[in-house]
Amino acid sequence: MTDAITVTSVSKSFPIPFQRRPMVAVRDVSFRVEAGQVYGLLGPNGSGKSTTLKMILGLVRPTRGTTEIFGRDSEFVASRTSVGFLPESPYFPKYLTGEEMLRFYGKVCGLGGSELRTRIDTLLELVRLTNARTRRLGGYSKGMLQRIGLAQALINDPKVVILDEPTAGVDPAGSREIRDLILDLKARGMTVLLSSHLLEQVQEVCDRVGILAQGELVREGPLRELIAIENRTQLVLENASVELIGEIETRALAAGAQVVEKRNSETTLEKLFLEATQSATRR
Amino acid sequence: MSELPHTAFSLRRVGALTSNTLRELTRLRVFYVLLLFALLLIGSSFFLARMTFQQEFQVLKDISLGAINILTSVLAIVATARLLPQEIEDRTIYTILAKPVHRGEYMLGKLAGVLLLLAITTLLMSALFLAVLYVREHTVLAETARQMRAAPPDHLEEALRNVRASAFNLNLLPGIAIIFLKAALLAALTLFVSTFATSNIFAVVVMVFVYFIGHLEGTAREYWQQEHGTGWIASTFLGLVALLFPDLQLFNLVDDVVAGTPILPALFAKTAALGGFYVTLYFLLAWAVFYRREL
Repeated sequence: MTDAITVTSVSKSFPIPFQRRPMVAVRDVSFRVEAGQVYGLLGPNGSGKSTTLKMILGLVRPTRGTTEIFGRDSEFVASRTSVGFLPESPYFPKYLTGEEMLRFYGKVCGLGGSELRTRIDTLLELVRLTNARTRRLGGYSKGMLQRIGLAQALINDPKVVILDEPTAGVDPAGSREIRDLILDLKARGMTVLLSSHLLEQVQEVCDRVGILAQGELVREGPLRELIAIENRTQLVLENASVELIGEIETRALAAGAQVVEKRNSETTLEKLFLEATQSATRR
Repeated sequence: MSELPHTAFSLRRVGALTSNTLRELTRLRVFYVLLLFALLLIGSSFFLARMTFQQEFQVLKDISLGAINILTSVLAIVATARLLPQEIEDRTIYTILAKPVHRGEYMLGKLAGVLLLLAITTLLMSALFLAVLYVREHTVLAETARQMRAAPPDHLEEALRNVRASAFNLNLLPGIAIIFLKAALLAALTLFVSTFATSNIFAVVVMVFVYFIGHLEGTAREYWQQEHGTGWIASTFLGLVALLFPDLQLFNLVDDVVAGTPILPALFAKTAALGGFYVTLYFLLAWAVFYRREL
């Protein structure tokens, strides 16, 4: 597989005025994101997620190490021809309509004419904002703003999309829409690198994750491998009788296995919230 | 859609950034300065009514050109000072620079947007001023002709010639062009200051100091040279000071214009070249600092 993003032994320190020791934001971090993967960069606030993303985008220069996008050093502007970026909680100009905003970003990427018009139509359709295309951004909800932000990140049809806390401040319904969009992008073969501290969401969409703590990459690898407990197996049954469950338990114990936990399956709080709010909206 | 070819400089990218900057600035209701200017013109007419026509035209030119000068300078500083800090605060700068946009193109787009705003504002204020001057000139011409109905034709002709001579003259146009150039210089310098400023207030405060130093610098330099002579150390030092703080008094040709002294083409060319030099210098400095800046 081709590497879409390569981060090699990257460190970043910021000098602190009147202090000899700089503040180390990122310390010797290395990871690779394969093309077509959804990669989650996790960590608490201040762990160095945003700084790492900014170094990949060439907005901040690494103190040591290199970052590359499809083999091009991030230091060069040409590396950004195949990238789209949505920063954390951007504040887009309220006076622009969704369509005007996308037109501006399209022109900045060198697009124009019918090509740009078609691209805007496609993106508004993708982020489900066609009906709000002529509405000013001042009237958009937080979720809509994140979706139009995602559309601007996709305006140049990038191969890689970098999302910094894409669901920050968005309600569960909006958050789910963004999650679905990420899965949609993955299905189209796009590479997605996202940072988040909302673990449940990351678990739903990511193929691979890296966990940052105090600037260091403390865990890294395929999500399934990282969260799997090797000597345990989960068996989920539907419409199983009490007798059947008892029989399975007996056979398991007889074979030397231990039943660690037995409980009814639960829905997630997110699913419960969405079902409740959606049925209330329908009434 | 295939990957777009990347060029080191794109006029389309700069054009998009320029028009967006202009749109952003016009949303700030900066055109209220035009309203202020119009009110100033209307207000001054109460005083002008009591003067002779020569005094009236001179005061009208003095007030109008002075107001255009001050208002474009203030606009240049205030409008430019907010551009970078605001985009960083709003994080929209990340969305732009994460695209294949060179930082030089970004800065050029910002500066061009401000210069376009200043050009439009200067043109509108000048048009308003020249329209008022034109109307007053024709009113005075008509009044003079009426009052001198019985006078010999050559006397009347001379009187009318005097009225025309003291009203509009072509010297006003290079005077206005230099006012614009001064505002452009201040905008470029403000852009440079904003590349290392932490807030727009800081940039405005620095520029207010630069503005006053720039206007007093010429007098101070003359005094220094009279007192201490012009050795090479003093000349180098004064040259460095002039680079950091442009001598804004050199761009003050309004007094000559109002007094009716013609602006010689050589003086105009020299002042325009100096203005162009400063704008280019400050833009390059802004680019150099912004190129290294971590966002």
